[in-house]
Amino acid sequence: MKYVFLIAWREYAENAKTKGFWIGILLVPLIIFGSIQIPIWLQKKGTPTRYYVLVDQSETLAPIIESRLERAQQRRVFDALNDYARKNTTSDAGTNRFTPPSFEQFTSPGGEAAYLEKLQPHLKPGVPAFKSPRPDFQRAPIPSGLRADSDIETIVERLRPYLRGEKRIEVDGQSVSLSAAILIPGDIEKKIVRPQDRNARAAKNANGIEYWSGNLADTQLREEVERAVNGEIRQREYLLRGLDATAVREVEQTYAPIASLNPKKEAGQEAVKNVDIIKQWAPSAFVYLLWVSIFAIAQMLLTNIIEEKSNRIIEVLLSSVTPGELMMGKLFGIAAVGLTMVGSWILATVTILTWKAGAATAMAGQLLVVLHSSSLIPMFGVYFVFGYLIYAASILALGSVCNTLKEAQSYMGVITMMMMVPLMTMTFIPKDPNGPLARILSWIPIYTPFIMMNRVMADPPWFDLIGTTILLIVTAAGALWMAGKVFRIGILRTGQPPKLLEMLRWLRRKN
Amino acid sequence: MMNGNAIVSYAPLEVRGVTKLFGDFRAVDDVSFSLPAGSIYGFLGPNGAGKTTTIRMILEIIKPTSGSITVLGESSALKVRQRIGYLPEEKGLYKKMKCWAIIAYFATLKGLSKKAARQRAYELLERYGLKDFANSPTEALSKGMGQKVQVLASIAHDPEFVILDEPFSGLDPVNQQVMEDIIRDMAKRGRTVLFSTHVMQHAERLCDRILLLAKGRKIFDGTIGEAKQTIPRRVRIETEDDIAALRELSDVVAVRQLETTNSVLSPTTAAHWELELRDHADPQAILQTCFARGIRLRSFNQSEPTLHEVFMRLVGSEAKEAAFR
Repeated sequence: MKYVFLIAWREYAENAKTKGFWIGILLVPLIIFGSIQIPIWLQKKGTPTRYYVLVDQSETLAPIIESRLERAQQRRVFDALNDYARKNTTSDAGTNRFTPPSFEQFTSPGGEAAYLEKLQPHLKPGVPAFKSPRPDFQRAPIPSGLRADSDIETIVERLRPYLRGEKRIEVDGQSVSLSAAILIPGDIEKKIVRPQDRNARAAKNANGIEYWSGNLADTQLREEVERAVNGEIRQREYLLRGLDATAVREVEQTYAPIASLNPKKEAGQEAVKNVDIIKQWAPSAFVYLLWVSIFAIAQMLLTNIIEEKSNRIIEVLLSSVTPGELMMGKLFGIAAVGLTMVGSWILATVTILTWKAGAATAMAGQLLVVLHSSSLIPMFGVYFVFGYLIYAASILALGSVCNTLKEAQSYMGVITMMMMVPLMTMTFIPKDPNGPLARILSWIPIYTPFIMMNRVMADPPWFDLIGTTILLIVTAAGALWMAGKVFRIGILRTGQPPKLLEMLRWLRRKN
Repeated sequence: MMNGNAIVSYAPLEVRGVTKLFGDFRAVDDVSFSLPAGSIYGFLGPNGAGKTTTIRMILEIIKPTSGSITVLGESSALKVRQRIGYLPEEKGLYKKMKCWAIIAYFATLKGLSKKAARQRAYELLERYGLKDFANSPTEALSKGMGQKVQVLASIAHDPEFVILDEPFSGLDPVNQQVMEDIIRDMAKRGRTVLFSTHVMQHAERLCDRILLLAKGRKIFDGTIGEAKQTIPRRVRIETEDDIAALRELSDVVAVRQLETTNSVLSPTTAAHWELELRDHADPQAILQTCFARGIRLRSFNQSEPTLHEVFMRLVGSEAKEAAFR
């Protein structure tokens, strides 16, 4: 056993010195961190406050639009405050005791100032003061000399150089660039499209509200305006027709609570839905992770054994250790390399998610909940170990009978092809996780780890879960035993790789 | 040479009637021999004679088809693997490993502690002139240096019994000398060394005993002196006179005229003859006959046969055959 450890340790230490190992370890956390952080960073730094000019000749819609935008801003302040509270307070029990439970309760009794006042006694000493996020949008006054009641065409002509970036506009003593202009004509009432109107078709083509902007990709402001205006117009329409607006809203919010059996849903319907989606999707990610890690280290094992064989180092080793010890040493050493990589990926992912989980990255938090509450990670560990053993055993046997990597590649192709099956079924197993295809494939030991990993969140029958695991373990043990037989004879062989029949004969040999 | 400090009472190696079949091919055929402790033992034979196969069987890397092998008093080399050192015929090292690390690694596989192995590695590298390369990866070494590192790796644990398969191949004359020194150093300290070679000069200089294999069979086993006695004694003479009188001597088995190389500077009509003598014949008697019969000699050479000649005579034909197989 001591020698197995010595060999495993060398394999591990030598691999840990290679650049590829470190790149592999660092790349995944970097990608995960990047995919979470870059959007936040872009949101913070990349999109500065955008200034817009709002001309409302109907004189009824501007306050509605502004209040909607202000509300959106207040929500971001609320989210930022929650993040700030979570990171900077001394309380371990959570911040629920002194923060408003919902956005509505945040806005009503005084907003940011009231929130901070309540938070103050719980803050850790020396934390930086809270900085409220910059507003996404800020209204700019119309340029001097331009009258708000001028012709829309005239206003457009005057604003054009500002919108093109040729001129800058003055806001609070700063000169800034204008990114959008929202022009609401005085006769907007006439331009409202009503399905029952005969002239509806004609009206559709007429310009109602004009939204001018050089940046077509940034539709956020346009959407906010659209929602605010249409909300308001519908309200008026109800009044006009003598409908009770409150009643209409109530009707609109009436629904049959189909999924209301789940008590969690009361807290926030949308969030729970996301968790459900993640729950369905996470096993596939783990299948992929499992596949990539097993495949990568199987390749590593193959190159390693062939290198040693073609170097003839094997002979010196075999004068010191038995073939069995050598094989087990390699198996464990390379497995440790793989486990370190995969382990560090999972650890880094959980760490980054924990660190970054917050209002800005609701997704990260939900992902974390799924990882914590489910058996995904422990199952992954079990399936990794036994899946690896089965594939590693075949690779070791293959490597021991081949003299060059080229020779081995052609046989490796067969193994790769067989390994493709779980990748191909990966996307449609979750749709019918306990269906006949999933169940049949689960009982094929070389696919058990992948398919069962895919099914793990769908509560597979205990018979499948335990039965396939036992079969998997028995197969892994058998594969190792056979690999040991082939390895012992193959490793010192030179010349043509043996025929399959000859290898089967080796299995019957004693020693 | 049994003046070391680790003299053991049993023979380090005993091989009894060992045969190895690969399919129908007899790689080793009923070979028996034993090594005295503290000796340097040469394992000679043409390519394909079964040297490496025998060595692998001694080390239990492969098992004999029949026969038995006792190493350091044990029936299995695995039981005493920590006391054996082995340098295989085909040399290889981990390319990315540092010299000291690879020596230390093999030493730990032979039971040394990590610390002791490391210390020993540096010590050996310094003693055999590779100190500056201790921290270089082995891929940075020349072939000869790499081979030296491998030899050091195989003896780093100071084994009682060392088996070196073709230790001289690929080494320049200077390093061949270093290799000879390493072998002699070990023998001086009472270690037993078995090495295989097909360069007879090394065997002749180093070995107490030699074993000659050909086609898997043992051809000869004994001291160098005994080996030389296997071919008849010869006398070479150079004379212008008729040597008919010598042919009639009962001690002379055969007479051959050798090709003469006449140089322009000293033209000569003298012929070179080689007389093959009966066993135990006295070359001095030939000389006396020459004087008595008035044969004027330009030279009289009573040379001992070299090991090379012994080798060529004993296995020459098989060696050629093997080379063309």
